[in-house]
Amino acid sequence: MIRVDPRLCIGCLSCSNVCPRQNIIRTQTEEERRIRWKRCREECDLCVELCPAGALTLVPIDESAPEPEVSFPLVGCRICGRSYATEPMLLRVEAALPKSQSPEWVRICPTCRRTAEAERATGDMVAARRRRG
Amino acid sequence: MAVYVDIGRCIGCRSCEVACERVHGGRGHVHVHFVGDFASVPIFCHHCEEASCAAACFSGALHKEGDRTAFDVEKCTGCGLCNLACPFGVVWTEKIAHKCDLCEGRPEPTCVTTCPANALSTDLDLLSCRARSREARAIAMGGRR
Repeated sequence: MIRVDPRLCIGCLSCSNVCPRQNIIRTQTEEERRIRWKRCREECDLCVELCPAGALTLVPIDESAPEPEVSFPLVGCRICGRSYATEPMLLRVEAALPKSQSPEWVRICPTCRRTAEAERATGDMVAARRRRG
Repeated sequence: MAVYVDIGRCIGCRSCEVACERVHGGRGHVHVHFVGDFASVPIFCHHCEEASCAAACFSGALHKEGDRTAFDVEKCTGCGLCNLACPFGVVWTEKIAHKCDLCEGRPEPTCVTTCPANALSTDLDLLSCRARSREARAIAMGGRR
């Protein structure tokens, strides 16, 4: 079965995506994401290998141990308020990007980023037309 | 290389969206946004030089291949970090990631060949040339002030 280090898990669902037996159950509401690892008997460690945070380990099955479960509150977009990611995922992305880029967009949901880009491009076009008279 | 947009030409017909979806098995990578009554703007992957999506990708699925930001579906785990890292919101994840591949294997991206208004191009020189002639025309006409 799988042991989870809840301090390392970022709640990204990689494990649940790659599990060939659907043994990792995800449930999500507007406020919260919950991940539960079923007590699996497989020798397979695909989820362990493909966890971006190194939060999983394959351990011998223990019938008395409770099934590991983690939950994350979801973070809302700064513009529209819709929840779109877990805090550890956003922190990880911020850490991966060069500081020089000051990646403020990370706190905005992808939908609002597209809208902002469309508005910026329109602003540029309108300004160019004004300049031309 | 990337797809460049001349939004002054875009007529908002969304042909690029449809063409992209058709080529990519129903999952398109272009979204046409409408900004009030002013404009319609197709939003594309910029194939950024310093690609944030590739910087955030832990498995090496997203990587630079020449001037293209390429994607290796075999390596993707669907973690969604790329989706959160892209400044323009143009890397999608639904179990696995998908993004513009500039229609690999085709001579030109299908959105470019489909656009009935010639608003899309992979040739930046063409777009800047058009922009310059628009400015020149405005000066020749004396502007409107």
